[in-house]
Amino acid sequence: MSWPSFSFPMGAWFFAVLIPVIIMYFLKLKRPRVEISSLALWQAVINDQRVNSPFQRFRRNLLLLLQLILLILIILALMQPFLSAGPETAEYLPILIDCSASMSARGDTDDTTRLDLAKEKARALIENLRGQGRIALFSFDTTGRRLTEFTDDQSRLLRALDKIKPSHRPGSLDEVLRMADAYSRSAPIERVVVITDGNLKESVDFELPFELSLQPVAAGGVNVGITEMNARRSDRESWEVFVRVSGSVGEVGDAELTLTMDDRVVGREQVSVSPDEPTERLVFTVDTPNTALLQAKLTFPGSKDSLDIDNSVWLSLPQPRSLKVRTSPDLYSWQHAFNVLEGIELDAAESPQVPEYDLIVSDSMDLAGIDAPILVYVGLVPDEISDLVSVAETEPGEEPTEVVVWEATSPLLQHVKLRQVQIAEKARYVSGADEAKLEDRGYEVLVHGANGPLLLQKRQGLRTEYFFLFHTDRSTLPYRLAFPILVSNATQAALKQASLSEVSAIPTGVLPPIAVEPERSFTVSRPDGDIQTLQSTPSGMLSGISADVVGKYEIEDSGDLVATLGTGTLNSMETSLRSVDDFKFNDLSVEVEESELVEGDQRFWRILAFLAFAFLLIEWWYFQRDKSGAVA
Amino acid sequence: MSTSGKTQLTSLFDNRLLSRVERMRLQPIRRLTNRSQGEHLAGKGGSSTDFADYRDYAAGDDMRYVDWNIFARLRRPYIKQFLHEEELHVAIMIDASSSMLFEEKLLRARQLAAAFSIMGLLNAERVSIYAMHQQEGQPSLISPGTGRSKIREVLTFLESIEGGGNVPVEDAIEQMLRFHRGRGIAILLSDFLTFSDLGRCMNLLFSSGLEIWGLQILGESEYAPDLQGDLRFVDSETGQTLDITNASELLNLYHGQREYQTEILHQQCRRRSGRFVSTLSNTPLESVLYDTLCRQGWILK
Repeated sequence: MSWPSFSFPMGAWFFAVLIPVIIMYFLKLKRPRVEISSLALWQAVINDQRVNSPFQRFRRNLLLLLQLILLILIILALMQPFLSAGPETAEYLPILIDCSASMSARGDTDDTTRLDLAKEKARALIENLRGQGRIALFSFDTTGRRLTEFTDDQSRLLRALDKIKPSHRPGSLDEVLRMADAYSRSAPIERVVVITDGNLKESVDFELPFELSLQPVAAGGVNVGITEMNARRSDRESWEVFVRVSGSVGEVGDAELTLTMDDRVVGREQVSVSPDEPTERLVFTVDTPNTALLQAKLTFPGSKDSLDIDNSVWLSLPQPRSLKVRTSPDLYSWQHAFNVLEGIELDAAESPQVPEYDLIVSDSMDLAGIDAPILVYVGLVPDEISDLVSVAETEPGEEPTEVVVWEATSPLLQHVKLRQVQIAEKARYVSGADEAKLEDRGYEVLVHGANGPLLLQKRQGLRTEYFFLFHTDRSTLPYRLAFPILVSNATQAALKQASLSEVSAIPTGVLPPIAVEPERSFTVSRPDGDIQTLQSTPSGMLSGISADVVGKYEIEDSGDLVATLGTGTLNSMETSLRSVDDFKFNDLSVEVEESELVEGDQRFWRILAFLAFAFLLIEWWYFQRDKSGAVA
Repeated sequence: MSTSGKTQLTSLFDNRLLSRVERMRLQPIRRLTNRSQGEHLAGKGGSSTDFADYRDYAAGDDMRYVDWNIFARLRRPYIKQFLHEEELHVAIMIDASSSMLFEEKLLRARQLAAAFSIMGLLNAERVSIYAMHQQEGQPSLISPGTGRSKIREVLTFLESIEGGGNVPVEDAIEQMLRFHRGRGIAILLSDFLTFSDLGRCMNLLFSSGLEIWGLQILGESEYAPDLQGDLRFVDSETGQTLDITNASELLNLYHGQREYQTEILHQQCRRRSGRFVSTLSNTPLESVLYDTLCRQGWILK
């Protein structure tokens, strides 16, 4: 049983009023003196009454008693008692509020968004803050943000709560829970409240050190949105544009998708999404020899859509150019293979001609100041794994090394058959080393030999490095059909990385690096009207452009438009508005508890005030009745 | 009933009522009389002129009482018996304490005492009157006497009685018994409002050969009080106080208690072959005498 608390405990001082009331009552009680012939009968009456009425003492001072009860009830009402909904049981309570894209979804009947409902719940928790309780507010989408420290300042918490706006990014619990966990080291956190629509990644990579209370908000209405948009170059001046439209659970109406290129309509399609076919893929053909900005936009003539931000997606089409490939001068087999491919600008000179390439194939770790997003090292063992793998030439008479197994799903090895490729070098693990240790250092084994790895891959951000631990020229690989396919795969990966053959719409988050003039200041005009100023790197890259809002971003250099990029939500989970009921954490699962809805405190000062009024009426009736009922 | 004219014999009631009272006489239930010769016709075997009965002659009987007319007709001797004339005391006790001053209860007590006295005196009873005031002290009394000549003295005594004092009725009875000698009737005129049990003094009266006639006189406010609110009652005799809360709520209990007390008094008198009646001080005296007392056989017209 929980005892009531009081919003205004200082009101208890008013109980001191009872003392003068009691004193005044007894002082006031000057009974009229009535001389009678004898007390004999009345004494007998009083004795009789005391015997028959055990509560006579109580009744003797009934007026005083009623007045005291009345006063006590009024004072209790003044103290504003309440039965707490529970947050004060935990002294430190982090409240994590989901503000991901799906929280912008409106309800079926009104324009109240899920975030509005979440704010109402959080507001109830803040207003229930009592005693030693402290609340810290966090908001999260993909990342988490701490809005306030642990504080009992309700006005500050409410101000912070009001400032929360819905983001255009998908939601994830991982980071914000880690933030809350970091605070648990300085504050005794027993419970964390997460107010969410449940439209989050189901699997959470986090071990819960505290109790997690997932508070769901009501589901919104139906929704249709664009979840994917990309373009593939069909020829030098033509692109095939693919747009995937998905719908949420429930009956959704028809929509119309309009594709515009630089504000000119280039395509329009009717979209029909139903529970049986929740997604529809649309294909458009766009002809442009230059860079262009496409916008796909969904409109809903005659039907309702809960979420607006997933109805527009932008896609920048790059200007066609040749793929810049650099090979070491001695890698003839690679040069021959590249030479037969179209659209390749091969540089195999002694010294590189430009600092940036799309693909570099090198037989030396020293690249002489050049760089590329995709690097292929041939016949080299990286220094950082030299203690794990050793490569040596096969001894005369020794069997050549053969490939045992390879990762056919790797972009570099798609459709590549390495069976029966013979290698005159043998790579082997040193004693105690194995594949796991390589993975610990960031290297993934793509091709396994009998005694050790033959091809490694290392990813560092957008940069991908491949390491042939054997020299391709000391193997039969260049003479096999697999080699041109492998080279072609490397070229395709480079084309894709350089967005020359295939481009995808950019989801909200961070814009990809843009090649600009080095060391210059650029301004980025965001869709929400904000201006961001950034400096390009000495290598001529402009990176780290925050793009957390769906819309068009214009990068300018002293007023001259340099590039225009656009973003979209592009998250099928967010568009589906689907709620996860059971989140999988590392060691346990946590269900969203409908029964643990945050409820406000039960305040019952009104009940007390009503009781006081009732006692007032009883007192009035009782003494009025005495007058009217007196024996004449 | 104020009668102050010079032609009135007494201020207690008028002559018309007096003349009616003179024709009445007291009717005791039992023969509690003195054996000494008196004028009260008490039973057979007396020597009065009033015939009572016949009985068979027995050897040794006084031949003067043989009814010779009967003997002549029946040839058998019968002895005529006459009523015995004995002395009957009528002791009237008036409670003149302060409680009797309320609502003219004392006046009604004096009127009734006067009526009873006249009835007794004119019927040759020995009437004595005791007026009790203080708990400690001598009562005012008029010694036993009989005959019409005593009426003036009795009326004067009754008219002179003034109320006041704190004597409870049981003490008043005991005081009276210290002065009274003689069997007969004890007429107790009081409100009988006392804290004590009257059983003991009733026994004393009974053992003294007195037939108890209790006549309770209550005021209207005692019979049906009209009270409400919180009050502090002050006892007129003792000065003691009693706080009452919400008196109107207690009225039912009061009525029950009063009726209970009356019933107890009634039983205490009847168990000792006595009588008891309760009357209000504002009830007309004629009504008390002619209706209440005559109808209940206290007095004969």
